[in-house]
Amino acid sequence: MIGDIMTSLWAILPVIVLALWACVLLLVDLWLPKDQQGSQQGESNSPITPLLAALGMLTSAAIVIARIGQPTMGFGGMMMADGFSHFICLLLLASGLVTIGLSHDYMKRLGIARGEYYVLLMFSLSGMMLMSMSADLIMVFLSLELLSIPLYVMAGIATPRPSSEEAALKYFLLGAFASGFLVYGIGLVFGATGSTSLQQIVAVVQSGNYNLALILGGAALIITGLGFKVAIVPFHMWTPDAYQGAPSAVTAFMSVGAKTAGFAALLRVFVLAFPAFSADITPVLWGLAALTMVLGNFAAIAQRNIKRLLAYSSIAHAGYIMMALVPYGQDGLSADSVASALFYLVAYAFTNFAAWAVVIALEQAGEKGLELQDYAGLGRKHPALAAVMAVAMLSFTGVPPTLGFVGKFYLFRTVLEGGHVGLALIGVLTSLVSAFYYLRVIVVMYMQEGEPEARREPWLQAMAYGSAIGVVALSIFSAPLLFLASQAVLKLF
Amino acid sequence: MITVSLIIFLIVAVITLGSALMVVTARNLVHAALWLVVALFGVAILFGLLQAGFLAVVQVVIYIGAIVILIIFAIMLTQRNALEIGSRFNENWGWALGISALVFAALVWAIVSWPGFHVQAQPLDARFDSVAELGKALVASNGYALPFELASVLLLAALIGAIVIAWERKPEER
Amino acid sequence: MLQDYLPIVILVLIATGMAGLVVLLGHLFGPRRPSARKAQPYESGMRPIGPGTRRMPIRFYLIAVLFILFDIEIVFLLPWAVVFKKLGLFGVAEMLVFILILLVGYVYAWKKGALEWE
Repeated sequence: MIGDIMTSLWAILPVIVLALWACVLLLVDLWLPKDQQGSQQGESNSPITPLLAALGMLTSAAIVIARIGQPTMGFGGMMMADGFSHFICLLLLASGLVTIGLSHDYMKRLGIARGEYYVLLMFSLSGMMLMSMSADLIMVFLSLELLSIPLYVMAGIATPRPSSEEAALKYFLLGAFASGFLVYGIGLVFGATGSTSLQQIVAVVQSGNYNLALILGGAALIITGLGFKVAIVPFHMWTPDAYQGAPSAVTAFMSVGAKTAGFAALLRVFVLAFPAFSADITPVLWGLAALTMVLGNFAAIAQRNIKRLLAYSSIAHAGYIMMALVPYGQDGLSADSVASALFYLVAYAFTNFAAWAVVIALEQAGEKGLELQDYAGLGRKHPALAAVMAVAMLSFTGVPPTLGFVGKFYLFRTVLEGGHVGLALIGVLTSLVSAFYYLRVIVVMYMQEGEPEARREPWLQAMAYGSAIGVVALSIFSAPLLFLASQAVLKLF
Repeated sequence: MITVSLIIFLIVAVITLGSALMVVTARNLVHAALWLVVALFGVAILFGLLQAGFLAVVQVVIYIGAIVILIIFAIMLTQRNALEIGSRFNENWGWALGISALVFAALVWAIVSWPGFHVQAQPLDARFDSVAELGKALVASNGYALPFELASVLLLAALIGAIVIAWERKPEER
Repeated sequence: MLQDYLPIVILVLIATGMAGLVVLLGHLFGPRRPSARKAQPYESGMRPIGPGTRRMPIRFYLIAVLFILFDIEIVFLLPWAVVFKKLGLFGVAEMLVFILILLVGYVYAWKKGALEWE
């Protein structure tokens, strides 16, 4: 009994450490001396709080690293700490650390620095990490809520700025709606199989004693609920407004973290529990991926605001990652499916953080400096930042030999192996379309005259250069990353 | 076969559906919230009919006792003067009705086509104590111990969120 | 099984019956001499100031949210309390963790002044 509990706790130790650290940090922050500089509304922030938060994430990451190669499961098969979850957890913790670096000076500059921000960030991260480990639909739902609720609040942390409040409200209302879909889907799957545990669902499916119509309805609703979180069309309506209105550092975290966690859950649930139904589910995923790529990329062309542009770019990339999921049920392809999705998630995370770091550096108070035209002349005035942005844009487009190209290459290969030539074709064509708006950013930066003002904040610059160097380094050494991603297979019981 | 519980079920179902319809069509927001109380109470009785007494209590304590109160507070916080908000329908109501009807028909078909739907479930043993079973499952390490603890972390995050969003800054700190 | 609910049904019937009876008696025996002033909203016998449906301070919302959270805690506490003697030390420890985590929130709310009513 006690040994059982210890194994269970051991399986989710990184999350326990992170969540308890957040609880303690919440109390510690109350008594820390406050730095009154970063406050305009009576809110204040101790400079130690972000450091302590980062320390907590590093501790959690150290535990994850120490346990790589030792898959454990806990709570009667409810949680699975396998190679897959280790990979995702490390990516998430790295995203959390980058977000702290992006937020620290930015929040102060905008006068919205608050200690709770970092606590909420840690709670959201805990939810995301739990989501990558969940092997039970109940846990998928609870961890989705734990990752979402802090994100709703973080999107609105710039209150009383109306755009931030609008972002929080839209994200919250539609997010609550999507959670409803997810719960209903889980309910239908439970009704069809009599269990929420993936292990049990697989057993019931193998025994043939289930209701096909209900399980397909449940799977469709689960796609809807999680598809909302990762912003695939047609569940993307909230994305542009929420991404534009939320503080930029929060948007950066939201786009990477929620997408990573959402796809982690989609991969685990579909690859483990529903491979038997791929004949029915694959066409749906095919359609969603195609629709997302087309709509995301074409809508991005019309955008003049850089945050909206990146929002539509985020939708389009959800479509690309969705491609990996399409052949999930084919024999021998599910490992490729998982590996190429994980690889692309890493590529997207690095590229995205590089782009957002530049956006944050150029953002002025009162939501100024966010139009595309504000980037004119950046290549001459701030060559380093312009180079970071150029690397990000090239990687987003998928120009060889950038990381984005390698990622897309693996995605297309997986899709082609699955025999979906049409989908790969749509992916290539929409990538060409995306070149139009990504390269326009580069053209504006280098070919047009302007006097952009950029912040010189040490942490922000470190994150910008670090992400860009990461993109470049991983483009050159992409083989080890793919090896790691392909090692990160889902462990089934 | 007409039994007492069937008659009770039919009456309660009609009341629940009717008041749910009133919630979405009432022109006065406070009235809508009060109709919601009736609808939620109907659901509580349905839980009772299904021998899920604890869920019936939860329904009354949480939904009627707390959530409807919060809804009424929210109405009083936002509405400036008149509570009459006019018609609840916009030009898309036809579409919404069509899609909802379609989804409803599909779900009904899916559930009715399942053979288990036509099998009468056996009533629970009189000695079966669902609350005690729930209590044991909540803390069993191979049961729902983790969701249970996670629920408290979730509540904590929600509490922080509510204070961060809605807390009024004290004038001297402003 | 349905007879288990009989006491609750009787209670509900008595409660609604009493409420109805009081209103009915008032209607039957009370004198009715309406005037414009009597039709005004009741404000402790004072002349009402402003409309009756003014916006309330956001504090009410905060209190209601805190109430919901601790209400949910009670719901979790209930099934645990029914069997806690059988659960042993482990069950107590788990509930302790559950309550401690929420206690953190309580301390936070307190220190932030969310419970104060100036």
